[in-house]
Amino acid sequence: MMKIVGVAACTVGIAHTYIAQEKLETAGKKRGHEIQIETQGTIGVENELTQKQIDEADIVILAVDVKIAGRERFEGKRIIQVSTEIAVKSPNKLIEKAEQVVNAQK
Amino acid sequence: METNSLFQVYFNSVFKTKEEVFSFLSEIEGNDFYKKREIINLLKEREKVGSTLIAEHVVMPHVQSSLINKSQIVFIHLKKPIKDWDYHSKNVRLVIGILLKENENVQIKKSIASFIRALASEDFVSRLLNSREKEDFTKKILKPLEE
Repeated sequence: MMKIVGVAACTVGIAHTYIAQEKLETAGKKRGHEIQIETQGTIGVENELTQKQIDEADIVILAVDVKIAGRERFEGKRIIQVSTEIAVKSPNKLIEKAEQVVNAQK
Repeated sequence: METNSLFQVYFNSVFKTKEEVFSFLSEIEGNDFYKKREIINLLKEREKVGSTLIAEHVVMPHVQSSLINKSQIVFIHLKKPIKDWDYHSKNVRLVIGILLKENENVQIKKSIASFIRALASEDFVSRLLNSREKEDFTKKILKPLEE
């Protein structure tokens, strides 16, 4: 079981941000991981990550098409960055990739 | 339910190309030339950033503009698939267009976002795709909002 945190943010901030969040969280939970994806969309920041969650996370997934707020919170963490399109299209593969990255460094 | 007024459903629609769909979406609020041009341009700009495909056979073109008077989610269930939406998106059978008013109130945005999250479910999308009648389709759309 891994702890995964991340951010989803797209250009208009209404469509892919929320689908990417939901798909990643579902895919992560399905594989038995603890996962929370913060959204930075048209509503503002939702599902906000705490610094404790970030510190404890094994890996960070950024599904973003735009510059995000608070990127410095993830400094020093292992980060996978993709477009929201990838997160929407292949959420399961993305979680598998995260597993590989974490396992390779154990 | 107030959120129901956010939805518009067009069933068994006939469109052959993405451009025809964009033109239709741009006319939802009337025939103002500048407004139409602006909405089409914004939709095209968004497509340049990346595919709006959200599931197999389903695209979600979306736009936010100060020219939009009322935020809406426009469902276009196609009678025949659009074969070549773009390089990634073939045989599109359902278009979910989102027209978002600039500075829309948070409650409306939250309703839209909550519906969009429901679209992450493959089961839900597949039920929408496989609807055969408008009434049935509309009921299925509203279901996640009632839960």
